Amino acid sequence: MYRKNQKLTVFLFLLPSLLLFFGILIWPIIQSVHHSFYEYPAFNRAGQFVGFGNYVKLFSELYDFGLAIKNALILAALSVFIQLPLSLGLALMLGKGIKGERFYLSVYFMPVLISAVVIGMLWEKIYNPLYGLLTKSFEFFGWADVLPAAGVLGDKKTALMAVFIPTIWQYVGYHMLLMYAGVKGVSSELREAAKLDGATDGQVNRYVVIPCIKPIIQVSIIFAITGSLKSYDLIKVFAGDAYNCPYKVPSLMLVRYAFNNAGGVASAIAVMLIIMCFGFALLINWLFKERNPYGAK
Amino acid sequence: MKIKRMLALVLAAVMMFSLIGCSAKNGSGKKIKLTMWCIATEGDSNRGAYEKAIDELKKTMPNIELEWEAIENETYKTKIKSAMAANELPDIFFTWSGAFLGDFVAENKVYCLKDALSKYNDLPASMLGNVTYADGKPYGVPTTMNVVALFANMDLLGQVGYTEVPATYDEFIDCCDKLVAKGITPIAVSGSETWCVTEWLEPMIEKTIGADALNDIFRNGATFDNAGVKSAVDALQSMIKKGYFAAEGASLKNDDVRDNFAMGKYAFYQNGTWNCANFADQEKFPGFIDKCRVTEFPVIDSTNAKLGQLIGGPSDTLAVSASSKHAKEAAEYCVALGREISHYGYLSGAGLPAWTPTYEANDINALTKAVAEICNKANAYVLFGDTAMGGSDKDNYLEYVGKVYASEVDGAGFTSGLKKAVR
Repeated sequence: MYRKNQKLTVFLFLLPSLLLFFGILIWPIIQSVHHSFYEYPAFNRAGQFVGFGNYVKLFSELYDFGLAIKNALILAALSVFIQLPLSLGLALMLGKGIKGERFYLSVYFMPVLISAVVIGMLWEKIYNPLYGLLTKSFEFFGWADVLPAAGVLGDKKTALMAVFIPTIWQYVGYHMLLMYAGVKGVSSELREAAKLDGATDGQVNRYVVIPCIKPIIQVSIIFAITGSLKSYDLIKVFAGDAYNCPYKVPSLMLVRYAFNNAGGVASAIAVMLIIMCFGFALLINWLFKERNPYGAK
Repeated sequence: MKIKRMLALVLAAVMMFSLIGCSAKNGSGKKIKLTMWCIATEGDSNRGAYEKAIDELKKTMPNIELEWEAIENETYKTKIKSAMAANELPDIFFTWSGAFLGDFVAENKVYCLKDALSKYNDLPASMLGNVTYADGKPYGVPTTMNVVALFANMDLLGQVGYTEVPATYDEFIDCCDKLVAKGITPIAVSGSETWCVTEWLEPMIEKTIGADALNDIFRNGATFDNAGVKSAVDALQSMIKKGYFAAEGASLKNDDVRDNFAMGKYAFYQNGTWNCANFADQEKFPGFIDKCRVTEFPVIDSTNAKLGQLIGGPSDTLAVSASSKHAKEAAEYCVALGREISHYGYLSGAGLPAWTPTYEANDINALTKAVAEICNKANAYVLFGDTAMGGSDKDNYLEYVGKVYASEVDGAGFTSGLKKAVR
């Protein structure tokens, strides 16, 4: 009787969270999968069942979803291989306890606090081919010819990088803060022991600090990759009303089609994004488990 | 402890009186509160017209209290569609005529304005064509009317021997060639706002295949697979290849392009006639109005097209939500507001009036006057492509226009691609 009551109590306590979890996460995913199999000729009214038609359509010449995925993967790779090492470097540097630590911490974290729209508009001005800081600086040094005549955002070869630089820059501080918290949590005894054994600063970081903050690095990688796949706000500021944009990403397409009577196609993009985000999260977890130095699974 | 109790009592009293205050206001029945969303933001050329029109109606319709909100153009399109899907439209909302409003009407979300409009006789029936749908009833009030026009900087044209805007297509090309040879950039268009590219492409298509054929493509289900469309696209791309278009336009916003044209950087700018108000702004561009001329794009193929065939029409529209609690009053207010915006918009140069002027309009700027003359001679209008076509058709069309500007597809690719992608 007691056990039965205990189970009921546990269930009742969990029920609100379960309802929220199901209502906010699971149900929308089920709905998105369902919608992706239909055409949506009107905003909120399902049309004909088309099976996987919307998924096939996505990869046609018109939608060019392959380019959007490619761009998102490039952004994810840049995040992992440029943004995170930068964040780690800064976290290790600040975590060592340098002079003005708090000040630098605030400075590096500041871009995270600024709205993506403001950052987008700021960088758009920097890139402006007529009066932008970049253009004028290059002109000053006599390198005006190096920049494309169409502007870095207008030239296909440079547009992708031009958009991704502020995207990456914005979140360096965020990952730095996560890692900094981890670095600060590493026992000073461990550091001192390593130092007594003759380890250099680099070796302390390499063999003591980084292994200790591995779980945080893992979380950062998951955030960086899933964040890149879902990136929208900053890129939307650059893209504005442009169609056939060389730096289009899946979320940009999703929003466009969701509000232009192509809800089925938008849902198919949403499903693809969910699969990719879950897939990458599982893959990263698996990779980190495989490399656990203590052999524990 | 006593202080805490007192504080709690005071706060409770404040809340109670606030609630009583609110209910008294709503329950008095004296004022009807209406909400409105529009795109007349601070920087919009129609802002002044909206403010004056609303002030005017405060005197003539004092029983209505309007709460209005202006949202940036692109954000607005998403917001209004989300509101429609969620059944949360404001009482009155700005919309574009044609397919944009048509999608709302098809979902029974818009209140019919037939009765409210019947009280007025100064709105020509021709202005209601784009807001009248399958049941033959009007669902919107057109405010201003705008067309695509070619603006020219006569100072720059004068440097290559042109004292008038080129009247024929051959002269236009010759003028551009001379400008390029002289080191002057003939044209600029914002490549990062694809609708601006359509302001070049659509007049060129219209002046090649004629207004009727283009109307059939945009609105009556005819295919894009048309030899004239192909040749117009190729002509535009040839102009791009010959360096007529400023390269930096690819990454500039339309406001930058427009302002730089007015500051003498480019010789031609083709866009909507709502820009007349900007170019006539003496504070922003002193003296520019004296050297700026406005005309229509010249005929490319005279066998099908002729002068007087224009892109545009009464696109800016106000409509009333069918779910409004005060739909009848909102309809009457909406029609009166549309009429006043038409009036003040015309006087400020934001566009031509959709309603017949019943007032003196001698002070309007020279560019708007010139546009009025162009429209007086007009014999056919084709609504802007992105307004005439709805939903995903519009998106697919703009996607291909973007590809044309980026030289990713030629005329044949454009026509064959859109043949499959549209309808």
